[in-house]
Formats: sequence, structure tokens, C-alpha cells
Amino acid sequence: METILLRNIGAKDAHTLAVYRSRGGYRAWEKTLRELSPEQVTAEIRDSGLRGRGGAGFPTGMKWGFVPKDSPKPKYLVCNADESEPGTFKDRVLIEKDPHAVVEGTLIAAYAIRCHTAFIYIRGEFAFGSRRLQAAIDEARAAGYLGKNILGSGYDLDVVVHRGAGAYICGEETALISSLEGGKGWPKVKPPFPATHGLFGCPTVVNNVETLAVLPWIIEHGAARYAALGTDKSKGTKLFSVSGHIRRPGVYEVELGYPLKRFLEEDCGGVPNGKRLKGVIPGGASMPVLRADEIDSVRLDYESMQQAGTFLGSGGIIVMDETTCMVKAAWNIARFFAHESCGQCTPCREGCHWIEKIFHRIENGRGAAKDLDLILSVSGNIMGNTICPFGDAAAMPAAAFIKKYRAEFEAHIERRQCTVLPS
Amino acid sequence: MDRVKINIDGRDIETVKGKTVIQAAADEGIFIPHYCYHPKLSIAGNCRMCLVEIEKMPKLQIACNTLASDGMVVRTASPKVIEARRAVMEFLLINHPLDCPICDQAGECWLQDYYMKHDLSPSRFVENKERAPKRQIFGPHVVFDAERCIKCTRCVRFLQEVTRTEELTVLERGDRATIALFPGTALDNPLSANVNDICPVGALTDRDFRFRVRVWYLSSTPSVCPGCSTGCNIKIETYQNRIARFKPRVNEEVNSHWICDEGRYCFHALTEVERLTAPLVRQEGGLVPTDWETALKAVLSGLSAAAPLAGLISGRATNEEAYLFSRLLKRLSSDAALQVFYRERELSETAKILMSPDRSPNLRGARDAGCADTDMDSWLERLKRGDFGAVFIVGEDLLSQASDASEIAAALKRLRFLVVQDTTLSASASIAHVVLPAMNFAEKDGTYTNRKGRVQRLRPALVPPAGALPDWEIFARLFALAGAPIPYANPGDVFAALSAEIPAYRGLSYERIGELGVQLEER
Repeated sequence: METILLRNIGAKDAHTLAVYRSRGGYRAWEKTLRELSPEQVTAEIRDSGLRGRGGAGFPTGMKWGFVPKDSPKPKYLVCNADESEPGTFKDRVLIEKDPHAVVEGTLIAAYAIRCHTAFIYIRGEFAFGSRRLQAAIDEARAAGYLGKNILGSGYDLDVVVHRGAGAYICGEETALISSLEGGKGWPKVKPPFPATHGLFGCPTVVNNVETLAVLPWIIEHGAARYAALGTDKSKGTKLFSVSGHIRRPGVYEVELGYPLKRFLEEDCGGVPNGKRLKGVIPGGASMPVLRADEIDSVRLDYESMQQAGTFLGSGGIIVMDETTCMVKAAWNIARFFAHESCGQCTPCREGCHWIEKIFHRIENGRGAAKDLDLILSVSGNIMGNTICPFGDAAAMPAAAFIKKYRAEFEAHIERRQCTVLPS
Repeated sequence: MDRVKINIDGRDIETVKGKTVIQAAADEGIFIPHYCYHPKLSIAGNCRMCLVEIEKMPKLQIACNTLASDGMVVRTASPKVIEARRAVMEFLLINHPLDCPICDQAGECWLQDYYMKHDLSPSRFVENKERAPKRQIFGPHVVFDAERCIKCTRCVRFLQEVTRTEELTVLERGDRATIALFPGTALDNPLSANVNDICPVGALTDRDFRFRVRVWYLSSTPSVCPGCSTGCNIKIETYQNRIARFKPRVNEEVNSHWICDEGRYCFHALTEVERLTAPLVRQEGGLVPTDWETALKAVLSGLSAAAPLAGLISGRATNEEAYLFSRLLKRLSSDAALQVFYRERELSETAKILMSPDRSPNLRGARDAGCADTDMDSWLERLKRGDFGAVFIVGEDLLSQASDASEIAAALKRLRFLVVQDTTLSASASIAHVVLPAMNFAEKDGTYTNRKGRVQRLRPALVPPAGALPDWEIFARLFALAGAPIPYANPGDVFAALSAEIPAYRGLSYERIGELGVQLEER
């Protein structure tokens, strides 16, 4: 398979402008400025079938199309580099090893929505990545790829790197906007949507790093070539971060529609040490876990995952072998979401902690038989009832772990200790 | 304006485009429970209590942020909605202390009320409750209990959007999230105590009121704030014939949902005084109690014998009182110099949101009623110059409010006759020849006209002390003694006479004034 997103990864000094350009970098940006109108860029991306790679999978061209063309306000493009989903580390690879691709993609998207100031909101912990991005921006500016009157086109655009302060929720686009505005990282009620009332009340598009980094390739090679990859509704390729009990963990680029089982066993080398697979979280910690017996026919695309009752999400694949205590795993994830809930909406603020406390009790041998149904009820009461998808992100894995490994939970409760790990 | 038709719980409702479901429902008397929504604040959408079911929408929607659109079908009491509300109540209560008997909010707590209406199930929460700091002093009028807080952020938004003083914010995340003062600040602005009113639970309480009385023992009387001429609509809440607190009463034409702190607490100074219970007359050696007939005869003869006559009436006197006072003094002396007490002070920008520079709630009304022949300063100049022989002061202590008190005291002492009508033996009263025990704003029936010309109704909330008389009745008795009895049995009769005589008030009656007042035509 042709690598698109990872095409420069591994090349020596690919993070420098010289190497990036020698490998065809910024040709798409030059083509965009010289040959394409913003509408043509948007149409090209829409035709490519590209969907947002942050987790929600919303069609990118359509998202851009919601930005009102007649608005007198400035428009903003924000690159979401707040990659925080547990088990997800694909954007980090792009940011650190191919920052010019992220910058070039940001420029193209900004042009498509007629934005003159774009932001890259990067999670605070990515200190190295933010330096890499800043260096890339500085190089690109010196080369005339951004700034005033770019390449003589008359188009002005600058890119600002903004580091976050350590909140998972700031990866949610409206929380990111609140944070970028200087406020507390709280998601905003919708409507109004960012496309019309985003950053500083202006039309705003927030796109994930991976979504943006693929734009230069699509512009250069055409929508048709991208759309030829993948499945009917899940076009192109996607990065997957593979971690856990797997022989070759890492970031992989996979054509959407690729079989999950084959991917894990052949591409990633399978579960090491002769252990058996117990479960797979396919899309980052917030997505429902799949049991080993559920993955046979699952493919790595949006539709297949949904059919299996889970989501492709960010593509953060966490592999768990038979030695994994699912009670502890569920508690671990619940603890993360309890810690990261922004505290705004009642069900999430209170419910995430409640779930964490129950899991903690069960894990420590103080569970009761009715606790499992209680968690299912509490997570059900969170689902769909909050401002942002965080509530769902916390509720879905909690419910899935219980539904899929109920016997193990019941045994853990009954024996007041783990039945998997050696005591 | 574009009209849209929606259906709520089977009722077809026509509303205006741009209104939210919660507003459209409220306009039709359909109440959708909520905490964070407040009609005067921005939409936070965080409490999730107002979730409703809307046809064709897969998830429940918050009624506070959902615009009514044509053909929308809303259900506020479907099984899904009822269960969501119950769930929100359960979430709100898992960490909330269940110690209502020692909480000052009990009885007017939205958690209590909604629990009874929308939950009524036992808690399934068996974990330890999160603890949080209690009794945090936020400012002179506000104390915060973090454990009782539901993080609706009404207080934060009020201080951002109404006062724009921004003393409070939310710190931390998740169940550690708490309302907090910005470091180094205090919640001390002229409208600060409104946060106690809009807090739906026992998190923010009024330091002046808390733990004084359980709210279900309070009697409530709609009235008007006597603090200044803005005329904010209030409820006077009393317990055992004392004012326990003022609460704002919504009037979008005047004060919206708010009152200022100065007005809110002004009742202490105005009502918590040692009351006069008998008229006093000066005899050798001092003021001695007497009966009303003796006192009023002394007043009449004193005023008649010591021209030139002058009168000063408090800006807290009602229209009815001011009307009778001006008619009485003009009858005794057609060139009597009448004045309404008036003094201005500087106000901060935040104070100006509600407050007027004066402390004379009925300044305009008393002037309309004929009590202002000159301005206050020249009246005082004439007093100090010795232009007046006799002065009748109603309801105001000149000496406690003047920077040149000693000069005024000397002038008052030089008078041949001074009568003071007041609730207490003030400094001015103590040098008078006759003192008449009268009533305060909370014991009276009558009307005030605010600075914008809105006539509003004052209602008696307290039983006056035995021995004191309503001011209007004192004037009526003086009329009778002067040989010109007036046929009024109550302030309403006086108002009828006033409205018949003063053109700007023509056609007004207590009935028309109602609960929210009537705006006078611009003159």
C-alpha cells in the first residue's frame, strides 16, 4: 500500500524545510495559491471523502462548507494538536517528525475558509512537538510560504502555535476554543456552532492534525486517487496507534477497511509470549471494548466499527491479553475520565466520579452484586445528556467493560479479589 | 416579528422566532424545571434539569438553549424526560449534604422542591460524599458553602454580565470544581447580595438574614424599596412584626430581578429604632408625653402664631401624605415654604445600574403633590438665615444628615416653633417644641412616584406601635382642628382626591396601579 501520511517518516531530517521540500513539500500549497480558489479546494476535499481524524469522523469538506462566506468577521482555522486520548499517539509522530506537513495542511485548510490567522493548539505536554512546529513555521515564513502576500498571491496568512495547559477536555473543539480565548477549558453549548460562532465569536473550523496533514497529498494527487482508497464511506488511509500486549506496538498507516484481526496478527505481530487475546479497545480509551471473539469480522473503518457496537474514534488501539484484569482496566479508564471531566454538566461531573468510586470499590474487594447494574444505570444516565461528548466518552467504556466481561466482574465481586492476576 | 407555532405537551402554542423552548413554555404558563437557566443571564446549559424530548431529535434537548421552530413538537413529561430529570436530581444529590434541617435555604431550596416533585427515590449512592470547605466569607453580605453548591454558575454569570465586576469564577475540574473568589478580591459591589437571591440552593446565603428565621414562618408583602428614587419593587418579608429581609420582586420596567445592597438592608436603620409611642410637648425642663388632642392643638397654635411658616417633608413620605401636608400648610399660610428632603451622593458605575443619587424614594411624587416651592439648598439657606418663624418637619432628621449640622441646629433652636413628626426621637425631634409619633414606610399604605415617573404601591407589612398614628391621619386631624375637616377614611380616598386634582395623576387609582405600578405620561 502506498503510504500517504507516513511518507516522510523515517527520512533523515524530514522535519526540516530542505528535506521536506526535496520530497515534494509545499508543492500543494503553491498549486493551491496559483491554481485553486477556496471553493475549489473545498470541493476537492469534499470529493476526496476525507473524514475528520480526531475521532468523530465528520466529513471535512462539509465542515468547511458551513463557514458563512458572507460573514464580515474574520475566519479562523484551528489545528487541533491536543492529542490526549489514552492510547493515541499518531498526531505526535506527525508533529515531531513531519511538522511541515502539518503546517502545509493548515495553510491549505485556512485558505479554503479564507482565514488569515490560523492557530495550532498543541497539548502542553508536547513541548518538543511545539518547538518542532514553531521551527517549521519560522522556516516556512522565511521561505515565503506564510506571512504577507504569500508567493505573490496577495493572500496573507500567519500561523500561531498555542500550548495548552494540560486538560484532556481541551481536545473537544469548543473547549479548545474556550481555552484558546484565554478562558477555562469548558465546552460551549451548541448551537451556535463554531462554524458560525467559534473563536472570539467568529466563524471557526477546528481540524485534527492528521486531517490537515493529509491535505497536501490530496491537493497534489487529486481527490479521485484518495477516494479510490478505503471503502465506500470510509475513504483513504488512517493512522492507528497500537499499544498494549502486542509484539510490534507503534503507529501504522492502514487503508480503511483493512481487517482488524489480520492487522493485529500479521502487521503488528500478534499477542506476544504465547498469551491469548482478551480484548481490544479500537479507538482510544473512550470507545467500547471488543472481546477477542468479536473482532473476527471487524474492519478498520467507521461503518464496520459501528456495526460491531464500537467506534473507530482516534484509532488508538489498545490490546489486552488474557492476563489483563478487566476490573482494574475499567477502573483505570474510569479514573482517567473522573479526573478529566470538566465539571460543567451535572451528569458527567457527578456521574464520572460515582462510576470511578464503584469500580474502585469492586477492584478492592468491596463490591456488591448490584453494583454492576448500578454502573450500567449511571452510565446510561450520563449518555447523551451532556453539553459535549465527554459524558458519552466516559460512560461508553464503563458500560462496555461490564457488558462484555460481566462474569469476570461478578467473580471479582464474589471472591472479593481479582480472579485473573496472581494474588 | 416572525411567529412560529410549536406544540408543547399537546398544546398548540404560538410564539416568536428567536425564543427558546423554555421561554415559549413559560409564556404559556408551562414551567420546565431548571437550575442554571435564568431569564436575565446568558445560557450555561450545564445543569441538564430542563432536558425535554423533541420529536425528530434523537437525544433529549435542553429547553433553555433550543430555539422554538415552526412545527416543533415538545414533550416535557414523557417517560424519557421524567427519568432524565430523576437522574439529574440523583446526580445533584450524591455529594450534596442531606442536612436540610440545619441549612438556611431549607424551605426555599430548589433541590428540596425538585426532589419532592421530580425524584422522591432513595439514594443509590453508598460511597463517601466529597467534602468541600464550608462557611467561606465571600464578602460583606455573602457566605459560601461549597458542599451545597450545584455549580450552576448563576452567580458567576451575574457578576460577569450584570455588574461586570467578575469577582467569582470556577476553579478546578470534575467533582473538585468549585465557585471561588479571585485571589485578593472580595465579593463587595453595590449589587452583591443578588447572588444570594439567584442561588437556587443553600450555597450562597445572606449573612444578614441567615439563621435568623426559617423562611416558612415569613409573611411576604409586595411593596417598594424606600432606599432611593429608583423605586425597586420588593417583597417585605416579616417575622413576628419585624422585617426579616427584603427580596426583589420582578418588574422589568424598574429593577428587573435585582435590588441593590444599600436598599436591601436599609430597613435596619429605618425600622429598628426606639419608637415614639406618644406625642411629646416641650414644657419647662424638656419634652413630656401628652395626648394627641393636646399635642395637635399645640401644633396648630404654634404654627399659626409664628409665621413665616415652612415645611420639610421626607422623601419617604407617600404621595398621599405629601399631598395632605402641602394642602395643610398652604391653608395655614398661603406662602408657606415647602420642601422635600433631598441630598445627592456620588455613585460608582456599578451602583448606577440600579441606584439613584438620592435617598428620597418619593422625591418626584412629593414634588408633584406640591411640596417643593424651591430647591433644598435654598430652603436650608433660608432656614439658616432665620427667614422662618415656624417649621414643620416630617419624617426626616435634618441634623443627622447635614455636614453643617451645628449651623442647622442653631437655626432650628432659634425658631419660635418647631414641630417634628417622626418614628423616633431623633436629634431634630429632641429640640422640637412638639413631637408627633408617626409611622415608617413598612407600616403604611400609599404610593411612591419614582424618578422616572412610575407610580407604585406601598403596602403595610408591619403593625405599627400603639400610640403612633399614620402620617396622613395626623394631617387629617390637624385639618379638622383647623376647622376644615377632610372626608377621607383611608389613603385610597386621599389618592382619589390627589388624582382628581393633579393633572399628571388624572385617572389613576390603586386598582390601576396594581402590583407593578403605572407610568405617568411625560409632561
